[in-house]
Amino acid sequence: MNSQQTQSTPRVMKESKNKIRVDFERTPLKDRLKAKFLNGNFIKTVVVKLFTYVLLIGISYVILFPFFAKISGSFMSRDDFVDVTVKLIPKYPTLDTYKAIISSNKYFEALFNTFILSVLCGLIQTFMCCVIGYGLAKFKFKGNKLVFLLVIFTMVIPHGTLRLSMFVNFRFFDIFGIFKLITGNPLNLMNTYWPLALLSFGGLAFKNGLYIFMMRQFFHGVPDELEESAYIDGSGVFRTFIQIILPLSVPMMITIFLFAFSWQWTDNFYTELFIPNNDKFILMPDVVAIPKTLNTEYAARNLYESAIKNTCGLLILAPLLVMYVFLQRYLIGGIERSGIVG
Amino acid sequence: MNNNIAQPAVSTKRKRIASLDARKARAGWVFVLPFVLCFALIYLPIIINSVTFSFSKITFLSGSYTLDFVGFKNYSDALFVDTEFVKTLTSGIQQLIFDIPAIVIFSLFMAVLLNQKMVGRAAFRAIFFIPVIIATGLIDQIDQSNTMLDYMNTTESGINDGSGQNTTGDILSIVDIEKLFENMKVGTELVEYVVTLVNNIYNIINRSGVQMLIFLAGLQSISPAIYESCSIDGASSWETFWKITFPMISPMILVNAIYTVIDSFTSQSNVVMSYITKVYTDSTGGWVLSSAMAWIYFLIVFVIIGVVAALLSTYVFYQKRD
Repeated sequence: MNSQQTQSTPRVMKESKNKIRVDFERTPLKDRLKAKFLNGNFIKTVVVKLFTYVLLIGISYVILFPFFAKISGSFMSRDDFVDVTVKLIPKYPTLDTYKAIISSNKYFEALFNTFILSVLCGLIQTFMCCVIGYGLAKFKFKGNKLVFLLVIFTMVIPHGTLRLSMFVNFRFFDIFGIFKLITGNPLNLMNTYWPLALLSFGGLAFKNGLYIFMMRQFFHGVPDELEESAYIDGSGVFRTFIQIILPLSVPMMITIFLFAFSWQWTDNFYTELFIPNNDKFILMPDVVAIPKTLNTEYAARNLYESAIKNTCGLLILAPLLVMYVFLQRYLIGGIERSGIVG
Repeated sequence: MNNNIAQPAVSTKRKRIASLDARKARAGWVFVLPFVLCFALIYLPIIINSVTFSFSKITFLSGSYTLDFVGFKNYSDALFVDTEFVKTLTSGIQQLIFDIPAIVIFSLFMAVLLNQKMVGRAAFRAIFFIPVIIATGLIDQIDQSNTMLDYMNTTESGINDGSGQNTTGDILSIVDIEKLFENMKVGTELVEYVVTLVNNIYNIINRSGVQMLIFLAGLQSISPAIYESCSIDGASSWETFWKITFPMISPMILVNAIYTVIDSFTSQSNVVMSYITKVYTDSTGGWVLSSAMAWIYFLIVFVIIGVVAALLSTYVFYQKRD
């Protein structure tokens, strides 16, 4: 009788006036573990987790392996590529490749020029795409749909289609013959930053259609009441934009800037088209070359030259990766905030 | 008397309401003006020039150039004289059409995985979006014929003859997977498709970064309340995916499919684009020829985008918003 009672109900003991102690009859540890770990649900979660992690780690490996290979390749000397026993870990590590690229391909000059170009284009593109996206999202005017269709059109058209005519148009740059009237000749904008700056200003540069689209979707999600209350308080359209909308969209603009900056940084199409090889403007595409100071005439020439090119790629990427580490949360957060979600 | 005075006041008020709308419309025009101006003054001439170039022969003199109209000669050259172009075009488009569903499905799958709560999610996300930043332009160009990576990927230590193409670096071969599919009675086409996909995994991952971001954004926007009620009703996660996640994310599938089509058709690295670039750089006559080729290509891409959009938009489910 007594024992039955203890099993069904916990024992309550009064320790002091205000304090009681309850003794539960605990099931043995073994049974508890059994109940916890040996059921279908737990096993299923473990298997799913395991599967997820194996998959994620595997794919991370696929993404990261080329990096490791490139990094190890960049430290290899010429002899390592002939040696059959050397795969990922160089036997005769050397810094010659880096030194040669930095000195004879003028890496730092390219870094400086490209940095200026990318910041310039990135800032202009971010701001202009923000402005254009705002105009498309928040104002109903005749031709709104048409302008948006044009934006989509610039996104769809492969830029290879316009290669020759872009070259011709900026080589002989003229609007309604104005420059011909003034100077006698159309302007030659080759080898300057002007073509890229002009295209960025109009939101017509590389992938700008995408940025405008993202901005438009973002502003669709911003409630109208915000602006209406500003209008009621007597603020004009442009003041509202500068004082209320711009501060609001800073995280989104950082996302766009990250895209614009890094895609301009590694861009070779426009850069090579408008600023072809010359000594004045050394840009990133000029860095990708075999330095003359390295002698590649050796048994495994192809491999060695490929390794040198990969090292060039690494050097180009290094600043971007540093930036990515600090700004990547904006990349992910920004798109989540944008609500491309339709 | 009073009425007469009040009348003009009302009319001015009406006028002012109308003019506010007009003012807002004007402001809207001001906002999009840079785009419209640059499009009209710079981009439109470029496009028109490109079309005229494709119909003519260009000769550069010092300081200027001349055009001679030649009709459809460039187009007929591209389609009938150039032996490689049609072949490249068909094989390239075929490959892209096969890649697109793979990229969309892969990115959806990865987005669902990365959306779960787990240890190290931030790190995995950071790794997965590295390709968004780096797999473009120059790096893409370097990676296209990367003998060193192929060499590093091989596990056999065959004697390296210096050509860099000593052994195959494929993850799977058809023989491996045929055993797996033997009893499933699927055609060899499917087996080949799967094998090429697995071997192309690096390529596919590199091209699905932005799509993953878009899908993740979509997944975050689905209200947790729906999932909660679903789990109260006793739905398994498989059912939840197909009955809730999939319909809710279908607008994003449309966006992503179109983005993938645009992105992969216009990227410098695809076969057709690089062929067009090669024709452009090869010879002086190639300039206009490449314009003609690019326009043919653009028309085909345009049709494909239209077809994809029309097909998918019939299946898209839009949640009603109020």
